[in-house]
Amino acid sequence: MTLILDLLPRFALWFVLAPLLPGIINKVKAWVAGRRGPPVLQLYYDLARLWRKGVVLSTLASPGFVFGPAVAWVAVMGAALLLPLGPAGGAPGFRGDMLVLIYLLALARFGTAWAAMETGSAFEGMGVAREVSYAVLAEAALITAMLALCVQTGSTSLAAMLAPAAGADAALLAAGLFVVLLAENCRVPFDDPNTHLELTMIHEVMVLDHSGPPLAVILHGASVKLLLFALLLTEAVLPVGKLAPGVAAAALAGGVLAVTVGAGLVESLLARLAFRRVPLLLTTAFLLCLFALLMAWKGGA
Amino acid sequence: MNETTNLLIGIAMGLNLLALGSSRLPTLILAMSAQGVVLGLMPLLIVEPPDWRVLLVAVATVAGKGLVIPHLLRRAMRTAHIDREVEPFIGFVPSLLLGAGGTIAAVAVARTLPLLPEHSGSLLVPGSLASVLTGFVLLIGRAKAISQVCGYLILENGIYLFGLLLIHSTPLLVESGILLDVTVGVFIIGIIVDRIQRAFDSLDTRKLTALRE
Amino acid sequence: MTPGVPLLFSAACLLGGVVCGPRRARTWLALTLAGAAGALGAALLVLGGAPDWEWRHGFAVGGETLHFRLDGLSALFLALLGLVAGTGAIYAQEYWPEAHYPASAPGGRSWWCGLVLGMGLVLVSANGLHFLIAWELFTVCAFFLITLDRQRREVRKAGWLYLAASHAGTVCLFAFFATLAARTGSWEIGPLRGRLDCAPLFWLALAGFGVKAGLFPLHIWLPAAHAGAPSHVSAILSAVAVKMGVYGLIRFSGWLPAPAAAGWVVTGLGAVSALFGIAFALAQNDLKRLLAYCTVENVGIILTGLGAAMLGAAHGDAPWGRLALAGALLHVWNHGAVKALLFFGAGSVLHATGTREMSRLGGLWRAMPWTASLFALGAVAIAGLPPLNGFVSEWLVCLGLFDAATRPGPSAWAATPAAMVLAVAGALALATFAKAAAIVFLGAARTRSAEHAHECGALMRGPMLALAALCLALGLAPVWFWPAIARAAGAWNPAWAGREPPAPLAILGPLQGMLALLAVAAAAGLWWKSRANGWRRGLTWDCGYAHPSARMQYTSGSFAGIAAGWFGWLLRPERRIRRPRGPLPAAASWMERVPETVLERVLGPAGRALLRLSSAARRLQHGRVQAYILYVVAGLLAVGTLVLLGGMP
Repeated sequence: MTLILDLLPRFALWFVLAPLLPGIINKVKAWVAGRRGPPVLQLYYDLARLWRKGVVLSTLASPGFVFGPAVAWVAVMGAALLLPLGPAGGAPGFRGDMLVLIYLLALARFGTAWAAMETGSAFEGMGVAREVSYAVLAEAALITAMLALCVQTGSTSLAAMLAPAAGADAALLAAGLFVVLLAENCRVPFDDPNTHLELTMIHEVMVLDHSGPPLAVILHGASVKLLLFALLLTEAVLPVGKLAPGVAAAALAGGVLAVTVGAGLVESLLARLAFRRVPLLLTTAFLLCLFALLMAWKGGA
Repeated sequence: MNETTNLLIGIAMGLNLLALGSSRLPTLILAMSAQGVVLGLMPLLIVEPPDWRVLLVAVATVAGKGLVIPHLLRRAMRTAHIDREVEPFIGFVPSLLLGAGGTIAAVAVARTLPLLPEHSGSLLVPGSLASVLTGFVLLIGRAKAISQVCGYLILENGIYLFGLLLIHSTPLLVESGILLDVTVGVFIIGIIVDRIQRAFDSLDTRKLTALRE
Repeated sequence: MTPGVPLLFSAACLLGGVVCGPRRARTWLALTLAGAAGALGAALLVLGGAPDWEWRHGFAVGGETLHFRLDGLSALFLALLGLVAGTGAIYAQEYWPEAHYPASAPGGRSWWCGLVLGMGLVLVSANGLHFLIAWELFTVCAFFLITLDRQRREVRKAGWLYLAASHAGTVCLFAFFATLAARTGSWEIGPLRGRLDCAPLFWLALAGFGVKAGLFPLHIWLPAAHAGAPSHVSAILSAVAVKMGVYGLIRFSGWLPAPAAAGWVVTGLGAVSALFGIAFALAQNDLKRLLAYCTVENVGIILTGLGAAMLGAAHGDAPWGRLALAGALLHVWNHGAVKALLFFGAGSVLHATGTREMSRLGGLWRAMPWTASLFALGAVAIAGLPPLNGFVSEWLVCLGLFDAATRPGPSAWAATPAAMVLAVAGALALATFAKAAAIVFLGAARTRSAEHAHECGALMRGPMLALAALCLALGLAPVWFWPAIARAAGAWNPAWAGREPPAPLAILGPLQGMLALLAVAAAAGLWWKSRANGWRRGLTWDCGYAHPSARMQYTSGSFAGIAAGWFGWLLRPERRIRRPRGPLPAAASWMERVPETVLERVLGPAGRALLRLSSAARRLQHGRVQAYILYVVAGLLAVGTLVLLGGMP
């Protein structure tokens, strides 16, 4: 019972705050380009509108077309709830919950991939193939980053792993996790959320056929995932556990904002990579995390 | 002092990986020259207090590796109309993984070497081994003569780093010998590049296999 | 009740099944089910807390008196055997009926009982000689089951390959048991943890059992045999027969003292099998070959856990070793249940469409909703995703590895790369099963046969439902199954005998349940909301293309292309390409086949080179007497020269 009472406000927080991030990124992009840009709350309006709209289903689609996004959303939300919220700690923190988090993200990927394959569209097949393939490299980098944090703190529970500051390897870890963030959330330079050229996309091309409430759920899930990675990156680097609760909350918010603005700046200043270069960048991220792990080992030994 | 030198060598190791992973010649040249500058500053940190000879050596190295050589290479690229793409025999991801594996192995191997106690905690030896290895991967795995020059220079950076172990006893000798060596090497390569360019109208070393008859 | 009673009952039923199999299908089914239930009951008795069962009898077979033993570890495997033997027998009634296969169905029933009996005997034998006899019995029965459809050339080839590879392994096992018997002075096998001089024998066991388990470079027989065999046979091969190799490795790594390097080698081999197995699986276009390579991956995961457990046992019985061992043991069950389910599903597809080529299928969910949803469940489970069972065991193994990695010491050097490799293999498994399930069941039918598919009947659906229910139970309430795992772990290493589950496992169960509940609720909610908002059906949008056709869909090859390309150095796909040329191009084509690299690129050429050498040597032997006399003279001269050069005494 107490667990549920603890989870509900967390859930509300994630649910409400997550769609803010894409708005901030778009604002940063507009600001760099000298435009006014859409309002920060644009995604909320979009979600509300989509939630009320009807659905067009492909003639080929099975019920999995609707179930996939729902399962993916639950998985992402579950992963988000596992992540400790700075001073509030983790909800059901236990040993090995960081593995559950990674696998929940994988479940979310399976859900969206399944839904995309339902339509038999070549474009969506292409998107899914890219998504699941690049995720292999991103997951290698992510698990290495987790290993680095585990080795540093000697613990395998997220709450203990993320409380102290990362050591000398913080810069490496931050860089590696930032690249993973960009890849997992399909941002530039891996994917361009703004483009409408289907051949060059990953995430957007997977949702081409979705509409109405399922699309709303997918978009909301994607924003939660973005917030999750931004928070993970911030907590991995900042010594949240050592600060007073108020300061820690402020530091977390500031960190997430900084990461978001960073993603926006990257998006404004860089072009999308050619697809054959994507593995190179992801390997670099993996190596950054690997060297962070080695430094953590050296520090511990 | 040890912390700072280790940081510098760590940056140099990172630049090694950048050199292995870069697909554009200007980036490769930049990585190589940045590494030269970073390593050129090292004698100032190692010899305390720095006397005029060390200062001279440092200035010469930084100027040579950081300014003159990259400038020469960029000019060669411009005048010979070499396009910016690096053509790899060994793909970028494999060479990156090779370089990273080599770096890790270098750190592991250096622990087992019988070093002086003052060098045991420093990254001098692993950094040197890693740079030499990177240089070899670039020399073996890249097609264009310019990228081979860069590989050669990174290899030389590794040797130079190894030479720093001796800087307390024979500072000027080591350094000037190496600088001389590099200068000669670059001149020779410059001449070769020029000859290849004239003979084949291209700088692709693969065409040299036509000479085997 | 002592476990001996159901065991004897089970053996009697199975013997009856062997005898009456060819003639009476119904009696056979009843006997097999009773036999399977007996084995399952005996296993559950032991796993539930009954003391180990031992039985000796003066009757001698091959000069050795009978000695049987059923302890926690063998009971764990026996339970799996009973489960798959029973479900497979029911499945075969509809899948391989007498009406369609009058020549092979009757024999197949007898061989089935023989196979189950043989594997059961392997599990309970406490005598090396009888172990070998039982091992041979089940190998031979499996050969006849694989070649049930022996009209087809590829099936015969797969069968011979299986037989040859198995016997190469059996040679190692003969050497292993014979040396062991010579050193200990008796064929009896049992705990010998103090006999340090027996440690090097572990390498023989690793080679012998590794062939059966399908460890990476020794897996050559596995894909062809699994693909060629009837699906119920593939299921028991993959779920249980391959596990016999795993059983042997776990058994003797626990009983014998292991060499110092063994933990490292087993962890390394396991990680390599996991990664390369799944890389091969991803590149396959044949559904059953894909599942077969996935078996290699899962055996790799099990052995990674076992290797970590051996490292842990060698480092003062570290608790992380227990976690990894528990994960490995649980994965034996999980993989058995899921892989049987998936092979049954693949069999159902094959039954309905007549093809295993994924690029000829598609859109089957409409005709086969049960198969499609059960296969999807199996795909989620085998990809190791929560909230199903595959996740629980992979999580335990990974947790053990992570714990090992965080403790400074040499085992961290083995655990860290292994954890990374398992993560990559997990992500590749997701890609593989997203591909397999989606290409076969979703989208539009690619051929006419896929269009006219039909759902399988109750006898095929029932076993799949039972296995799926078990997968759900194993995933949602892993704590229920913990006592069994703990018992088996205690049989492996007495230091780890405690019954209490590791703390996080108690939380994981409810968490998985909550996740499953929420996922179902969210799916239902979204379905209801979409329906309330009103939906209409339309063509797949496909970026405005007005005439999408089934041939435009992504195929299995194109889906796997990116990730398989990274492993191109290993997979070496053979491609035949006719590119479209010029304006108004004529027909173009693209054919790709991924060979079994180890077999076709390494063993094949090596074998041919050996044959060439031998046939060159054969020229010396031609029947001309004069030449033979020449050889004798030349030989004498050579010996004489040698003696002369060496100096006369």
